[in-house]
Amino acid sequence: MKGARIAWFAGSIAVGALIVVLWQFAADAKLVSPVFLPGPDRAWTALVRGFASGTLEPKLLGTIERMFYGWLLASLVGVALGALIGISAVARAYLAPMLEFLRPLPASAIIPVAIALLGLSEGMVLAVIAFGALWPMLLATIHGFAAVEPRLYEVSRALGLSRWSVIWKIALPSALPDILAGMRLGLTIALILAVVGEMLASRDGLGLWILLSARSFRAPDLFAGVILLGLVGFVSAMILTLIEHRLLRWRATR
Amino acid sequence: MIRSGKWRGLVVPVALVVIAEIAARSTEITSDTLAAPSAIIVAGIKAMGDGTILAATGQTLATALGGLGLGLGIGLVFGILLGIFPIADRLMEFSVEAFRPIPSVALLPIAMLVFGFGYRMEISIVAFGTMWPILILTRSAVAGIEPRLLEVSRVLGLGLFARVTKIVLPAALPRIFVAFRLAAGVALIVAVTVEIAANPLGLGYAIMSAQQSLDPALMFALLVWIGLIGWGLNMLLVWAQSRLFGRAAIVEAAQ
Amino acid sequence: MTAVEIRSRAPVSAPSTTPLIAFERVDLVLGGRKILEGIDLTIGQGEFVCVVGPSGCGKTTMLRLIAGLFQPTAGRVSYQGKPIARPRQDIAIVFQDYGKALLPWRTVSGNVALALEAMGVPKSQHGDRISGLLAKVGLAKHADKYPNQLSGGMQQRLQIARCLAQEPAVLLMDEPFGALDAMTRQGLQDEVLDIVAQTGATVFFVTHDLEEAIYLGDRVIGLLPNPGRVAESFPVDLARPRDQLATREEHEFLRLRRVLFDFIKAAEA
Repeated sequence: MKGARIAWFAGSIAVGALIVVLWQFAADAKLVSPVFLPGPDRAWTALVRGFASGTLEPKLLGTIERMFYGWLLASLVGVALGALIGISAVARAYLAPMLEFLRPLPASAIIPVAIALLGLSEGMVLAVIAFGALWPMLLATIHGFAAVEPRLYEVSRALGLSRWSVIWKIALPSALPDILAGMRLGLTIALILAVVGEMLASRDGLGLWILLSARSFRAPDLFAGVILLGLVGFVSAMILTLIEHRLLRWRATR
Repeated sequence: MIRSGKWRGLVVPVALVVIAEIAARSTEITSDTLAAPSAIIVAGIKAMGDGTILAATGQTLATALGGLGLGLGIGLVFGILLGIFPIADRLMEFSVEAFRPIPSVALLPIAMLVFGFGYRMEISIVAFGTMWPILILTRSAVAGIEPRLLEVSRVLGLGLFARVTKIVLPAALPRIFVAFRLAAGVALIVAVTVEIAANPLGLGYAIMSAQQSLDPALMFALLVWIGLIGWGLNMLLVWAQSRLFGRAAIVEAAQ
Repeated sequence: MTAVEIRSRAPVSAPSTTPLIAFERVDLVLGGRKILEGIDLTIGQGEFVCVVGPSGCGKTTMLRLIAGLFQPTAGRVSYQGKPIARPRQDIAIVFQDYGKALLPWRTVSGNVALALEAMGVPKSQHGDRISGLLAKVGLAKHADKYPNQLSGGMQQRLQIARCLAQEPAVLLMDEPFGALDAMTRQGLQDEVLDIVAQTGATVFFVTHDLEEAIYLGDRVIGLLPNPGRVAESFPVDLARPRDQLATREEHEFLRLRRVLFDFIKAAEA
């Protein structure tokens, strides 16, 4: 049945192409003012021009780097801390309520505090990204470690596994699906905060690029930047999905 | 008494606040960036009293709810359609996966271009941000309906509209409500983020102004307030969920 | 006091002289409730002891005491004369909920390897040992599959293989076949008998199934509930090796079946 799947996917790409054609039509017929909605042809031209002139590449890389480093830092801290808290029922009892309370807090609300402490700097943006991405990962990791099947703990006692072995061989693999889900959410947040951070702190990146393009009414450049941001989101999510499939091979549906 | 039961969750936060208070009082430095918990509480009460916090809260909630409503409408309609018609779902797969990853804040400059500053710009971004989780989750809720029920609707010869309103919606409603809860959180987050980034209204703008006017007590008070709003909104919806759907829905939906 | 109250005291001790496992006046109180009271029991080397009784009689609890997962509130549980303070590597446990006792992210080989890793067996020896164990339980062809690709019976066999990797002197089996269908259950019963005959392990087997208890055991211990007490010990005088058809038709088998059935009925009253 693999052939059928590929056929359907090709069909959906065709539908996507159809949407682009409609977009072109709407732009050409000036259904919406070209100031707001440039045609895909102009957006594409702006994209190509941006890379050819060497403008877009450093901005793209800047955003990706920020997002990645912030996310990486948040992952390391989040998983390590989450493991320590998640494994200990005592730690959970003391800390989980407070952490759960902080869950719905918009990560961007920390930006003014970060600005107050670190000014409008690169470090501020990185700190905000790391802080914002930390919470979903911390909470998901705690949940993953807390939800380890108790029977497996008994099995490890019966087998005489060392404490370290229990964490590494039993708790961590068991918590991995949750950890990866948290990482995925953290990545989404990291991208958003990277964009906002760039806008506010005027750091060189796609976020700033699209803001400036909007202010100077350069709609094609603006759309080119938005498309790139969508691509960054898409590719990074896909990489994470591939890693997830590799690590969680055993979850094949019966 | 402290050692057992639900009070343990309060020990650490209370201890942190006490430590912060002691630290603030013992160092006599006046700071532009930090404030003592007591000062924060005072600033919060003052801002509450003169109506500024409430006005800002109203603005943020108005845009969040407005955007949520719009996103709910679009997401529900498309989610149900894609859930009911697998052919449509498969054909739209590429387009959905292409548009989904666009971060909602990336649309901020576009919205700014079209609407300028103000409510409409923020509502449109919130709508975009909430539309996707609702669409995705509604789609899987509808696709996951007990097939037996759909067979019943075929046997009874129900038209599309009747099928949706009498069978699909009620059956998928618990999971759709969970999606709604999630989207409400997203709505608040996106609204505050837009306000912090650019839009001069609401709580996000208020907290940025507090920082810029070097009023850390007010800034932290607003931070705590935003946290409370988020928490309160979530609690409200969890309560509503348990009233409407009972405990079973909460357990199942906690995944 | 029910009619079946402690009828015979003598046969609760093991036939051989030095008991391998001994319960001496063991009480266990959990969460304010007395689960076990005054348990006196000895199990000899190589014995296959089955434990039956109505729900709540504490048979699983006794198993967990031998396993070292619980500690007695009074009295002592000893192995080779010494109290069991914690789980031992040479006492292996086969749980009823095999799905939860296996690591879903490791293959069949990987799951068996866990026991070897715990014992500190060098990696170079893993391959041979694992293939030997899998061959013993008939899973040799499934070495690279994941537990969720196996049937219930196969998963339970995997758990048994992992336990055998510990080279156990004692096998503790907690209603291991309860979740399986009758045919699989019978196949596994015979496999266990084979393994025990080969390794000479001592077995403590908890079950609800009276016929299973008679079929497998050298002795069947009957417990009374609330609190759990040892009521009686029924020696099983049937020839080995046992046969699913022939043994179950023997006069002694049917007699014991009737006796045990009456015991349970009276105990539940």
